[in-house]
Amino acid sequence: MKKHLSARTKWLIIIAVLLAGLLTVNSAMKTGGWGTRVVQSVLTPFRSATSALVRQVERYYNYVFQYESLQAENQALKAQISSMEEDVRSADSLQRENERLHQLLGLASEHEDYQFASAYIISWVDSNWKSAFTIGKGTSSGVCEGMVAVTEYGQVIGLVTEAGSNWATVTTVLDSALDISATVASTGYNGVVEGALATGSEGLLRMNYLPTDSVLRNNDQVLTTGSTVYPRGLIIGYVTDANFDQTGVAKYALLKPAADMDNLEQVFIITDFNNS
Amino acid sequence: MLKHVHLTKSQWLGILKWSLYGLLTLAVLLLQSVVLSQLPVFGVKLAPLPVLIVCVCIWEGSEKGGIYAILATLFWCLSGSDFGNISVAVIPIGAMLSAVLCRAVLTLRFLPAALCCLGVTLVNASAIFVFKLILPPTVAIDSFWRILLPGVFLSMLFMPIHYALVKLISRIGVHDAL
Repeated sequence: MKKHLSARTKWLIIIAVLLAGLLTVNSAMKTGGWGTRVVQSVLTPFRSATSALVRQVERYYNYVFQYESLQAENQALKAQISSMEEDVRSADSLQRENERLHQLLGLASEHEDYQFASAYIISWVDSNWKSAFTIGKGTSSGVCEGMVAVTEYGQVIGLVTEAGSNWATVTTVLDSALDISATVASTGYNGVVEGALATGSEGLLRMNYLPTDSVLRNNDQVLTTGSTVYPRGLIIGYVTDANFDQTGVAKYALLKPAADMDNLEQVFIITDFNNS
Repeated sequence: MLKHVHLTKSQWLGILKWSLYGLLTLAVLLLQSVVLSQLPVFGVKLAPLPVLIVCVCIWEGSEKGGIYAILATLFWCLSGSDFGNISVAVIPIGAMLSAVLCRAVLTLRFLPAALCCLGVTLVNASAIFVFKLILPPTVAIDSFWRILLPGVFLSMLFMPIHYALVKLISRIGVHDAL
């Protein structure tokens, strides 16, 4: 086999190894990554066009194949709306009371300080070990590293971990690389939420460092505690299971993410908020 | 300015061939990162690009194919692939060795090419997996057969179409050169 390798092939093998080494050093030292910026900027228009095409095809598919199921869903939703209208009527009076109390206490309305930038998802990371996607907006639209991505309902999607002029990479909460300080809304227990990707609980989050005597119920809402990165009170997920961790001195809870990660199309980046 | 560029017919055909390989690579990269990354099959994301790179290298030989493999893998890595720096070494080296192996020891047919593609994608995915096992945040070891193996084998479903397209493109300019 060795005798069949030409000198040029041997040189190419050396170049490949050197390039890999160079890229590893570059990523370890986090020195800019201009190559990534150039390639991502070049690819963004292609990705945007392909993504728009896929969305259009998906719409036609849904229109053709899901018409009957949509009709049934529509009926069910109508029934749900009528029952919810009743709830809304009682909620309205509570809200008015709440508003009065807010005025009484001189508090500002919730989240008035948030500044948003909306963006469409143009591609997802193709790895099975990472959960991240690229959006078609970047630093030119005010999107920078360390900003939080949420849905229109204030559910946490992830964090902007890289940004170029016309693109940005958002690492989702499902990725094990993100740690979020969180609180169980009903009881006030604090913990740290991280993704459970490739740990046997794909699609779920794990809330660690909960007190051993903590009592958790299914569907307990988990919110961000608030930090310089994550605004306070954003919905991260809902408790689905709880257990003791390996050490036995703390509990952990498995959470279902609040945001529907499989059907994300558009996200909202919180470009500014008042963290005081 | 182009009036002063004198290229022979075979050179023009060479440009056409490599442009088609480039377009095919871009199309597969977009398919992988925009479409397949949102549609996991049995819970795993498929990666047809390494299969294409090995296919091209096998058909074009270890020298021209090797240059293509390095450039294509580098482009993929810089487009934001996870642990792409490992792939920049593993895929081109694997592809070049496959090209040599297919031409010198095996034959230039579908089955040897498919085995080489499978070998290279498996080695590449395993190398990344080893790093994922060592470096935090670590992955569970059982994800090797739960995620990695199904991902590699399902990605091989693209092999016949890649093989056919690459074989078709590689014929451009062959008769002219003879």
